[in-house]
Amino acid sequence: MAHKPKRVGFKLDMTPLVDVAFLLLTFFMLTAKFKSDAESEQKFEIKRPTASADTAKLPEMGTATVKIGIEKGGDTVMYYTVANEKDRGAIYTQVPGITMEEASKKAQVMVPDTTVLGHLVLATRSKTSNKVKFAIDADRRINFGRIEQVMNTFRSQGATTFNFVTVSQQSSGKD
Amino acid sequence: MAGADLGGGGSRSHKKKGSSIKKPKRIGFSLDMTPLVDVAFLLLTFFMFATTMAQPQIMEMSTPPQLDVPIDVQASRLVTIYVRFDGKIFYNTGLDPAMQPLELNKIKEFSVQRNSEKGNDLITSLKVDPRAKYSQLIKVLDELNLAEGDLTEKYKQQKTTRERRFAMVQMTEQDKEELAKL
Repeated sequence: MAHKPKRVGFKLDMTPLVDVAFLLLTFFMLTAKFKSDAESEQKFEIKRPTASADTAKLPEMGTATVKIGIEKGGDTVMYYTVANEKDRGAIYTQVPGITMEEASKKAQVMVPDTTVLGHLVLATRSKTSNKVKFAIDADRRINFGRIEQVMNTFRSQGATTFNFVTVSQQSSGKD
Repeated sequence: MAGADLGGGGSRSHKKKGSSIKKPKRIGFSLDMTPLVDVAFLLLTFFMFATTMAQPQIMEMSTPPQLDVPIDVQASRLVTIYVRFDGKIFYNTGLDPAMQPLELNKIKEFSVQRNSEKGNDLITSLKVDPRAKYSQLIKVLDELNLAEGDLTEKYKQQKTTRERRFAMVQMTEQDKEELAKL
Protein backbone atom coordinates (compact mmCIF):
# COMPACT_ATOMS: atom_id res chain seq x y z
CA MET A 1 0.00 0.00 0.00
CA ALA A 2 2.58 2.49 1.06
CA HIS A 3 4.82 1.91 -1.92
CA LYS A 4 2.07 2.77 -4.46
CA PRO A 5 2.62 6.34 -5.68
CA LYS A 6 -0.22 8.83 -5.30
CA ARG A 7 -1.89 9.40 -8.66
CA VAL A 8 -1.64 12.92 -10.02
CA GLY A 9 -3.87 13.57 -13.04
CA PHE A 10 -5.49 10.89 -15.09
CA LYS A 11 -5.75 9.75 -18.66
CA LEU A 12 -9.00 9.82 -20.56
CA ASP A 13 -9.63 8.26 -23.92
CA MET A 14 -11.01 11.11 -25.95
CA THR A 15 -11.48 9.18 -29.17
CA PRO A 16 -15.28 8.72 -28.93
CA LEU A 17 -15.63 12.36 -27.95
CA VAL A 18 -13.64 13.44 -30.96
CA ASP A 19 -15.70 11.13 -33.16
CA VAL A 20 -18.94 12.69 -32.05
CA ALA A 21 -17.56 16.20 -32.19
CA PHE A 22 -16.42 15.74 -35.76
CA LEU A 23 -19.68 14.13 -36.74
CA LEU A 24 -21.61 17.13 -35.43
CA LEU A 25 -19.09 19.50 -36.94
CA THR A 26 -19.49 17.93 -40.36
CA PHE A 27 -23.26 18.05 -40.03
CA PHE A 28 -23.32 21.71 -39.14
CA MET A 29 -20.76 22.61 -41.76
CA LEU A 30 -22.79 20.97 -44.49
CA THR A 31 -26.15 22.31 -43.39
CA ALA A 32 -24.98 25.81 -42.53
CA LYS A 33 -26.76 28.55 -44.37
CA PHE A 34 -25.29 31.87 -43.61
CA LYS A 35 -27.10 35.09 -43.12
CA SER A 36 -27.31 37.10 -46.30
CA ASP A 37 -25.70 40.54 -46.55
CA ALA A 38 -29.09 42.12 -46.17
CA GLU A 39 -29.85 40.19 -43.01
CA SER A 40 -26.59 41.05 -41.37
CA GLU A 41 -27.20 44.74 -41.97
CA GLN A 42 -30.60 44.58 -40.43
CA LYS A 43 -30.96 46.05 -36.99
CA PHE A 44 -34.35 44.60 -36.21
CA GLU A 45 -35.68 41.10 -36.00
CA ILE A 46 -38.74 40.09 -37.94
CA LYS A 47 -41.10 37.82 -36.06
CA ARG A 48 -42.68 36.09 -38.99
CA PRO A 49 -46.25 34.86 -38.90
CA THR A 50 -46.74 31.13 -38.76
CA ALA A 51 -48.40 29.10 -41.46
CA SER A 52 -48.83 25.42 -42.08
CA ALA A 53 -50.38 25.07 -45.52
CA ASP A 54 -47.57 26.21 -47.78
CA THR A 55 -44.33 24.38 -47.61
CA ALA A 56 -42.58 26.14 -50.48
CA LYS A 57 -39.27 27.58 -49.38
CA LEU A 58 -38.25 31.13 -49.98
CA PRO A 59 -35.84 31.01 -52.91
CA GLU A 60 -32.44 32.51 -52.25
CA MET A 61 -32.09 34.02 -55.67
CA GLY A 62 -34.37 36.01 -57.91
CA THR A 63 -36.38 37.59 -55.16
CA ALA A 64 -37.12 41.14 -54.18
CA THR A 65 -38.31 41.49 -50.64
CA VAL A 66 -40.05 44.27 -48.81
CA LYS A 67 -39.22 43.95 -45.16
CA ILE A 68 -41.44 45.55 -42.60
CA GLY A 69 -40.24 45.27 -39.07
CA ILE A 70 -40.40 46.91 -35.69
CA GLU A 71 -37.26 48.58 -34.47
CA LYS A 72 -36.13 48.60 -30.87
CA GLY A 73 -37.77 51.95 -30.21
CA GLY A 74 -41.09 50.61 -31.43
CA ASP A 75 -41.09 52.36 -34.79
CA THR A 76 -42.18 50.50 -37.85
CA VAL A 77 -39.56 50.52 -40.56
CA MET A 78 -39.61 49.38 -44.13
CA TYR A 79 -36.65 48.08 -46.10
CA TYR A 80 -36.29 46.80 -49.62
CA THR A 81 -33.78 44.28 -50.84
CA VAL A 82 -33.02 42.52 -54.10
CA ALA A 83 -31.38 39.12 -53.69
CA ASN A 84 -29.22 39.34 -56.82
CA GLU A 85 -26.08 41.20 -56.00
CA LYS A 86 -25.31 42.32 -59.53
CA ASP A 87 -28.69 43.94 -60.09
CA ARG A 88 -28.83 45.57 -56.72
CA GLY A 89 -26.78 48.69 -57.35
CA ALA A 90 -28.34 49.31 -60.72
CA ILE A 91 -31.82 49.16 -59.26
CA TYR A 92 -31.16 51.26 -56.19
CA THR A 93 -29.40 54.03 -58.07
CA GLN A 94 -32.31 54.48 -60.45
CA VAL A 95 -34.64 55.47 -57.69
CA PRO A 96 -34.98 59.07 -56.58
CA GLY A 97 -35.07 59.43 -52.82
CA ILE A 98 -32.25 56.98 -52.19
CA THR A 99 -28.82 58.50 -51.74
CA MET A 100 -25.96 57.33 -53.95
CA GLU A 101 -24.00 56.26 -50.91
CA GLU A 102 -26.76 54.05 -49.62
CA ALA A 103 -27.44 52.64 -53.08
CA SER A 104 -23.87 51.59 -53.67
CA LYS A 105 -23.00 50.28 -50.24
CA LYS A 106 -26.06 48.72 -48.75
CA ALA A 107 -27.62 45.38 -49.53
CA GLN A 108 -30.98 46.63 -48.40
CA VAL A 109 -32.26 50.16 -48.57
CA MET A 110 -34.65 51.95 -46.32
CA VAL A 111 -37.95 52.84 -47.89
CA PRO A 112 -39.41 56.03 -46.49
CA ASP A 113 -42.78 55.82 -48.23
CA THR A 114 -44.78 53.92 -50.81
CA THR A 115 -43.83 56.31 -53.63
CA VAL A 116 -40.20 55.27 -53.28
CA LEU A 117 -41.31 51.67 -53.01
CA GLY A 118 -43.26 52.06 -56.24
CA HIS A 119 -40.12 53.33 -57.99
CA LEU A 120 -38.10 50.45 -56.57
CA VAL A 121 -40.61 47.85 -57.72
CA LEU A 122 -40.76 49.38 -61.16
CA ALA A 123 -36.96 49.55 -61.43
CA THR A 124 -36.67 45.95 -60.29
CA ARG A 125 -39.19 44.77 -62.82
CA SER A 126 -37.55 46.55 -65.73
CA LYS A 127 -34.01 45.59 -64.71
CA THR A 128 -34.70 41.91 -64.26
CA SER A 129 -37.06 41.70 -67.25
CA ASN A 130 -39.89 40.84 -64.90
CA LYS A 131 -38.46 37.52 -63.74
CA VAL A 132 -38.20 38.50 -60.12
CA LYS A 133 -40.45 37.15 -57.37
CA PHE A 134 -41.77 39.76 -54.99
CA ALA A 135 -42.19 38.98 -51.35
CA ILE A 136 -43.49 40.74 -48.29
CA ASP A 137 -41.57 39.84 -45.19
CA ALA A 138 -43.39 41.51 -42.37
CA ASP A 139 -43.53 41.22 -38.63
CA ARG A 140 -46.70 39.56 -37.41
CA ARG A 141 -47.45 42.39 -35.01
CA ILE A 142 -47.71 44.94 -37.81
CA ASN A 143 -51.12 46.36 -38.62
CA PHE A 144 -52.58 45.13 -41.84
CA GLY A 145 -52.88 48.71 -43.11
CA ARG A 146 -49.12 48.76 -43.71
CA ILE A 147 -49.26 45.54 -45.68
CA GLU A 148 -52.21 46.81 -47.64
CA GLN A 149 -50.23 49.87 -48.71
CA VAL A 150 -47.43 47.64 -49.97
CA MET A 151 -49.89 45.34 -51.71
CA ASN A 152 -51.52 48.28 -53.41
CA THR A 153 -48.12 49.55 -54.51
CA PHE A 154 -47.27 46.15 -55.99
CA ARG A 155 -50.57 46.08 -57.71
CA SER A 156 -50.28 49.57 -59.18
CA GLN A 157 -46.84 48.63 -60.56
CA GLY A 158 -48.29 45.55 -62.19
CA ALA A 159 -46.76 43.01 -59.81
CA THR A 160 -49.97 41.16 -59.18
CA THR A 161 -48.41 37.97 -57.87
CA PHE A 162 -46.30 38.11 -54.78
CA ASN A 163 -45.55 36.09 -51.67
CA PHE A 164 -45.93 36.45 -47.97
CA VAL A 165 -42.94 35.20 -46.06
CA THR A 166 -43.97 32.93 -43.22
CA VAL A 167 -42.39 30.38 -40.99
CA SER A 168 -43.64 26.87 -40.41
CA GLN A 169 -45.63 26.18 -37.28
CA GLN A 170 -43.32 23.43 -36.02
CA SER A 171 -40.12 25.41 -36.04
CA SER A 172 -41.41 28.50 -34.28
CA GLY A 173 -43.77 26.72 -31.94
CA LYS A 174 -45.62 29.65 -30.46
CA ASP A 175 -48.42 32.04 -31.31
CA MET B 1 25.76 19.03 -43.41
CA ALA B 2 25.00 15.88 -45.28
CA GLY B 3 27.87 14.10 -43.62
CA ALA B 4 26.73 15.13 -40.15
CA ASP B 5 23.22 13.95 -40.90
CA LEU B 6 24.43 10.66 -42.08
CA GLY B 7 26.59 10.25 -39.04
CA GLY B 8 23.74 11.11 -36.68
CA GLY B 9 21.42 8.68 -38.42
CA GLY B 10 23.97 5.98 -38.32
CA SER B 11 24.67 6.34 -34.65
CA ARG B 12 20.96 6.38 -33.81
CA SER B 13 20.25 3.22 -35.72
CA HIS B 14 23.18 1.65 -34.04
CA LYS B 15 21.82 2.52 -30.61
CA LYS B 16 18.40 1.12 -31.50
CA LYS B 17 19.87 -2.11 -32.59
CA GLY B 18 21.58 -2.45 -29.29
CA SER B 19 18.55 -1.71 -27.14
CA SER B 20 16.01 -3.69 -29.21
CA ILE B 21 16.61 -6.79 -27.19
CA LYS B 22 15.45 -5.24 -23.91
CA LYS B 23 12.62 -2.93 -25.14
CA PRO B 24 9.44 -4.69 -26.27
CA LYS B 25 8.14 -3.75 -29.74
CA ARG B 26 5.60 -0.97 -29.48
CA ILE B 27 2.15 -1.77 -30.83
CA GLY B 28 -0.13 1.24 -31.27
CA PHE B 29 0.57 4.68 -29.90
CA SER B 30 -1.19 7.29 -27.86
CA LEU B 31 -1.74 10.80 -29.13
CA ASP B 32 -2.76 13.79 -27.12
CA MET B 33 -6.02 14.76 -28.77
CA THR B 34 -6.86 17.72 -26.54
CA PRO B 35 -5.89 20.49 -29.00
CA LEU B 36 -7.73 18.65 -31.75
CA VAL B 37 -10.85 18.43 -29.63
CA ASP B 38 -10.48 22.09 -28.71
CA VAL B 39 -10.42 23.17 -32.31
CA ALA B 40 -13.19 20.78 -33.28
CA PHE B 41 -15.46 22.11 -30.58
CA LEU B 42 -14.60 25.68 -31.42
CA LEU B 43 -15.63 25.13 -35.02
CA LEU B 44 -18.67 23.19 -33.92
CA THR B 45 -19.84 26.02 -31.70
CA PHE B 46 -19.24 28.51 -34.47
CA PHE B 47 -21.29 26.58 -36.99
CA MET B 48 -24.03 25.92 -34.49
CA PHE B 49 -24.45 29.62 -33.83
CA ALA B 50 -23.96 30.81 -37.37
CA THR B 51 -26.48 28.49 -38.95
CA THR B 52 -30.09 29.52 -39.28
CA MET B 53 -32.31 26.53 -38.87
CA ALA B 54 -35.81 27.74 -39.62
CA GLN B 55 -35.91 28.47 -43.29
CA PRO B 56 -38.63 30.92 -44.19
CA GLN B 57 -41.48 29.72 -46.29
CA ILE B 58 -43.59 31.58 -48.74
CA MET B 59 -47.29 31.91 -49.21
CA GLU B 60 -48.25 32.91 -52.70
CA MET B 61 -50.78 35.62 -53.15
CA SER B 62 -52.31 37.19 -56.21
CA THR B 63 -54.19 40.39 -56.51
CA PRO B 64 -56.38 41.20 -59.48
CA PRO B 65 -54.75 43.68 -61.85
CA GLN B 66 -56.02 47.21 -61.70
CA LEU B 67 -58.90 47.60 -64.08
CA ASP B 68 -60.73 50.75 -64.94
CA VAL B 69 -63.98 48.97 -65.64
CA PRO B 70 -65.54 47.17 -62.72
CA ILE B 71 -66.67 43.64 -63.45
CA ASP B 72 -70.12 42.57 -62.41
CA VAL B 73 -70.39 39.33 -60.51
CA GLN B 74 -73.46 37.32 -59.76
CA ALA B 75 -74.42 37.88 -56.15
CA SER B 76 -75.04 34.19 -55.60
CA ARG B 77 -71.43 33.35 -56.43
CA LEU B 78 -69.92 35.63 -53.88
CA VAL B 79 -68.86 34.97 -50.34
CA THR B 80 -66.91 37.55 -48.37
CA ILE B 81 -64.87 36.98 -45.26
CA TYR B 82 -64.24 39.97 -43.05
CA VAL B 83 -61.56 40.45 -40.47
CA ARG B 84 -62.53 43.15 -38.01
CA PHE B 85 -60.03 45.54 -36.40
CA ASP B 86 -59.85 43.36 -33.29
CA GLY B 87 -59.21 40.21 -35.28
CA LYS B 88 -62.76 38.80 -35.11
CA ILE B 89 -63.92 37.11 -38.26
CA PHE B 90 -67.27 37.48 -39.98
CA TYR B 91 -68.69 36.48 -43.29
CA ASN B 92 -71.57 37.24 -45.58
CA THR B 93 -72.74 36.03 -48.92
CA GLY B 94 -73.80 37.99 -51.95
CA LEU B 95 -77.41 37.03 -51.42
CA ASP B 96 -77.49 37.53 -47.68
CA PRO B 97 -75.62 40.68 -46.71
CA ALA B 98 -76.11 40.18 -42.98
CA MET B 99 -72.74 39.43 -41.45
CA GLN B 100 -72.38 36.23 -39.49
CA PRO B 101 -69.58 35.52 -37.04
CA LEU B 102 -67.08 32.84 -38.00
CA GLU B 103 -64.51 31.07 -35.89
CA LEU B 104 -60.94 30.93 -37.12
CA ASN B 105 -60.75 27.15 -36.85
CA LYS B 106 -64.05 26.78 -38.69
CA ILE B 107 -62.86 28.63 -41.79
CA LYS B 108 -61.40 25.55 -43.42
CA GLU B 109 -64.59 23.56 -42.99
CA PHE B 110 -66.65 26.55 -44.08
CA SER B 111 -64.63 27.10 -47.22
CA VAL B 112 -64.69 23.43 -48.19
CA GLN B 113 -68.43 23.25 -47.67
CA ARG B 114 -69.24 26.44 -49.57
CA ASN B 115 -66.96 25.54 -52.44
CA SER B 116 -68.41 22.06 -52.68
CA GLU B 117 -71.87 23.56 -53.04
CA LYS B 118 -70.93 25.98 -55.78
CA GLY B 119 -68.07 24.19 -57.43
CA ASN B 120 -65.54 26.33 -59.21
CA ASP B 121 -68.01 29.17 -59.46
CA LEU B 122 -67.66 30.41 -55.93
CA ILE B 123 -65.70 33.61 -55.55
CA THR B 124 -64.19 34.11 -52.13
CA SER B 125 -63.08 37.56 -51.21
CA LEU B 126 -61.30 38.65 -48.10
CA LYS B 127 -61.60 42.07 -46.57
CA VAL B 128 -59.28 42.95 -43.75
CA ASP B 129 -59.49 46.06 -41.61
CA PRO B 130 -56.25 48.08 -41.83
CA ARG B 131 -56.10 48.13 -38.04
CA ALA B 132 -56.20 44.34 -37.79
CA LYS B 133 -52.95 42.52 -37.16
CA TYR B 134 -51.01 41.02 -40.03
CA SER B 135 -50.75 37.70 -38.19
CA GLN B 136 -54.53 37.38 -38.25
CA LEU B 137 -54.55 37.81 -42.02
CA ILE B 138 -51.95 35.08 -42.40
CA LYS B 139 -53.94 32.77 -40.13
CA VAL B 140 -57.06 33.26 -42.23
CA LEU B 141 -55.12 32.81 -45.46
CA ASP B 142 -53.53 29.69 -44.04
CA GLU B 143 -56.92 28.19 -43.23
CA LEU B 144 -58.16 29.03 -46.70
CA ASN B 145 -55.07 27.46 -48.22
CA LEU B 146 -55.62 24.31 -46.16
CA ALA B 147 -59.17 24.18 -47.44
CA GLU B 148 -57.82 24.65 -50.93
CA GLY B 149 -55.59 21.63 -50.50
CA ASP B 150 -58.59 19.52 -49.50
CA LEU B 151 -60.60 20.81 -52.42
CA THR B 152 -57.87 20.10 -54.94
CA GLU B 153 -57.72 16.57 -53.61
CA LYS B 154 -61.47 16.21 -53.88
CA TYR B 155 -61.51 17.48 -57.43
CA LYS B 156 -58.70 15.16 -58.40
CA GLN B 157 -60.79 12.21 -57.27
CA GLN B 158 -63.63 13.48 -59.40
CA LYS B 159 -61.22 13.91 -62.32
CA THR B 160 -61.88 17.62 -62.63
CA THR B 161 -59.59 20.53 -62.02
CA ARG B 162 -59.97 23.08 -59.33
CA GLU B 163 -59.86 26.72 -60.27
CA ARG B 164 -59.48 28.96 -57.36
CA ARG B 165 -61.31 32.23 -57.36
CA PHE B 166 -60.05 34.31 -54.53
CA ALA B 167 -59.28 37.97 -54.11
CA MET B 168 -58.31 40.31 -51.37
CA VAL B 169 -60.43 43.42 -51.50
CA GLN B 170 -59.98 46.69 -49.72
CA MET B 171 -62.39 47.17 -46.86
CA THR B 172 -64.78 50.06 -47.33
CA GLU B 173 -65.87 52.53 -44.69
CA GLN B 174 -69.34 51.09 -44.95
CA ASP B 175 -68.03 47.63 -44.09
CA LYS B 176 -66.20 49.02 -41.10
CA GLU B 177 -69.38 50.64 -39.81
CA GLU B 178 -71.34 47.45 -40.29
CA LEU B 179 -68.71 45.44 -38.48
CA ALA B 180 -68.50 47.87 -35.60
CA LYS B 181 -72.18 47.28 -34.85
CA LEU B 182 -71.72 43.55 -34.36
